[in-house]
Amino acid sequence: MRRVPLTLLAAFIAVAAAVPRAAHAETADEILAKADKLTNGWDDQYMKSTMTIIDIDGSKKSYIFSIAQKGEKRLVRFESGELKGMATLILNRDSVYAYLPGFKKVRRVAAHNMNQSFAGSDFSNDDMAFTSWTNSYVATIDHEDADHWFLSCLPRPGGVKPPHPKAIAKIDKKNYQLMGYEFFDEAGKKVKTFDNNDLTDWGGGKFRNKIIVVTDNQTGHKTRLDLIEAKFNDGIKDSLFTERELEWGK
Amino acid sequence: MTTGAKVLGAVLVLATMAEAPARAEGWSDRLSISGSIQSDIRYVTDTFRGERPGQGHEFEMNRNDVNLRLRADPFDGVQAVIDTRMRYYGFNKAASLPELIGRSKIDPFDLMLNEAYLSVRGLPWSKMDIKIGRMIQTWGTADMFNPTDNLNSRDFSDPLDYTGKVPNQMIELDLYPSDWLTLQLVWVPVFKPANLPPSAVQGFAMTYNSRGEVTDFPAPPLNADGQTKLMGLKDRLGGASGGSDNPLAGVHFTTPEVRTINPKATLANSQFGARAKFKTGPVDFSLSYYYGRFGFPVAYTAVADVLSPGNAPAPSKFVTAVNELDSTKYNVRYIAEIMYPRMQVIGADFAYASENQWVPGFSAEAALILPERVDFGLEAFLDGQSILRQTNPNVPTTPFVKATAGLDWSYHDWFYINLMYVRGFFDEFNDKYGIHNYLVFATEFKFKQNEVQIRFAGAFDGDDKSAVLYPQLTWIVAPAVELVGGYMHFLGETQPKNSLDYAGKSKFGMKANGRDVAFFRGKVTF
Repeated sequence: MRRVPLTLLAAFIAVAAAVPRAAHAETADEILAKADKLTNGWDDQYMKSTMTIIDIDGSKKSYIFSIAQKGEKRLVRFESGELKGMATLILNRDSVYAYLPGFKKVRRVAAHNMNQSFAGSDFSNDDMAFTSWTNSYVATIDHEDADHWFLSCLPRPGGVKPPHPKAIAKIDKKNYQLMGYEFFDEAGKKVKTFDNNDLTDWGGGKFRNKIIVVTDNQTGHKTRLDLIEAKFNDGIKDSLFTERELEWGK
Repeated sequence: MTTGAKVLGAVLVLATMAEAPARAEGWSDRLSISGSIQSDIRYVTDTFRGERPGQGHEFEMNRNDVNLRLRADPFDGVQAVIDTRMRYYGFNKAASLPELIGRSKIDPFDLMLNEAYLSVRGLPWSKMDIKIGRMIQTWGTADMFNPTDNLNSRDFSDPLDYTGKVPNQMIELDLYPSDWLTLQLVWVPVFKPANLPPSAVQGFAMTYNSRGEVTDFPAPPLNADGQTKLMGLKDRLGGASGGSDNPLAGVHFTTPEVRTINPKATLANSQFGARAKFKTGPVDFSLSYYYGRFGFPVAYTAVADVLSPGNAPAPSKFVTAVNELDSTKYNVRYIAEIMYPRMQVIGADFAYASENQWVPGFSAEAALILPERVDFGLEAFLDGQSILRQTNPNVPTTPFVKATAGLDWSYHDWFYINLMYVRGFFDEFNDKYGIHNYLVFATEFKFKQNEVQIRFAGAFDGDDKSAVLYPQLTWIVAPAVELVGGYMHFLGETQPKNSLDYAGKSKFGMKANGRDVAFFRGKVTF
């Protein structure tokens, strides 16, 4: 007697869940917003990574660095290599500060530095300051396959300036995870490709790809990020994202 | 054993087990060690910038440094930092048989404590930090040439490093009342002067010709009247040259002695600085005040004690040492005094970062300096009788400005340029030498994801047209491992046209700057 109502209830829930989707197909912007929320939508996040820079001849060099992020603020600290001790505070794209251990001072980073590479990697400083897809881009569906949406992203009018004038974002249809993206220059030429792999649960159902490989499409040069540690909603204080912290942590 | 005792024992064991790993993990997280190992060797490429003509084409220096920095965060909001350097000098200094017995002369070294301080954050007010100990402060937004930055004197013991500073003991109070305002108060109880390069003694050295004869002596900071009187004395001494092409061939100088007058370690001689830093959109700026002393010495007095040929020393307190007398010549002993004048510095600086990547970053920094007056006094004795006495201002009380204005710009990774106008070099204090105007530049070309860097830097003195050029090539062999080769070359006259004109010295040409050197350096950081 009890099995019938339960089955019916399950069927009802399934239908109820399906109805809105059928009635309101998700727009590209909504898909991008969901993916963005999974990537950047945490109250705060902390990641420690090994960054391996792979030259076109196959030679490699690695650095360890950490990123703390809250909203659009980021604090990046190098923990190895010749950059050890160097730290960068990103309050927003136009307000970036670097602690230079050699000079024992905090210096404001001008916009012309933002298109430079991040520690010789294939990330630019602009890429590192990029903390929200939806604030920077408007999306349309470029194409899709059985597993992924490919969203064409163009600068949002009046939004935060994106690191590149066009992007194609690859989003998993099952879980809305951002599985990769390509950046294009003004002429429409592909300049960088990001491949995200090894989706990992870092505790409590908080997923993040463990491996990110960035390829410079013009040179073939690559950079691979391997996440060593990731924490989400860990209660990082706003006071971490201040010059005071840059000075303190030196 | 009772059940209660067993339970208590189990709890204690568990508690011990629980605490031990927690403490071990905690301390490893709260300690960090970093540092570097560096070896540096230099070769003198000139033969005319030394004490005597012909000296050069030899290794000048070899330094082998081990730097260690330990940071401990024993509790939240408390930090202790120790930064040390052990330096081994590669040259044997043993000059006698007994010195060959010990290791310290054959393999000389020194140990330096760069920093040792304690920081306390958020006490007694959450928006306040206190630091106390031996540390280095850096004020100002300009690159290197920071006229508002006076709390630590400069460390120019390495002529290739313009960024070094002499650490000092101080108390620092930082207040963070809002996101856009930071206040800083610093008290430095005891003054420490600048560390000068080995070549600095050339600034007070005699000039010699290839025969080893003195051809000139260092110009004191005299006005025109004083220069005329000194010229008269020089002519008088030239009477003993015996027809030589060198007018001073008949004069025997002992090595000049330069004494420093150090301020007493009193409360009145302590230094104080206050700074307010503001953030307003694309512009960061700060206002500052400093009361203390100028870290570079300024000429204060000089005494020349002259003894006629064949005369016995007169009972003067400046008398030339008897065992150094040359009975066939005029014997001259020269003693100078230098001091560190007080000053007040009212400073302002700003940095502007445009949102447009094609617009360079701008920074400017200016210091209005209110100096203590320094009168220079010169007296010359001939056979115990005062024959020349002159006093004139060396540093007037007139306020003067030192400033830096610069821009920097980069194009992607491979090109960087920095241009600066600098009014007043580190060691200039509006004395008789004056304040010069400079163009300072640095360009960098980077290749292979920053692994190879070519840097060309230099400075040009617009007043006396002298210059220094400083090209270098850096190869980042692996992360944290770098090899650097480079060259420092000075352009300018080593001697002024009028040897008695203190202001006529060429900024980068004068020998006190050092030698033309090629260098090679290897460094690994960890």
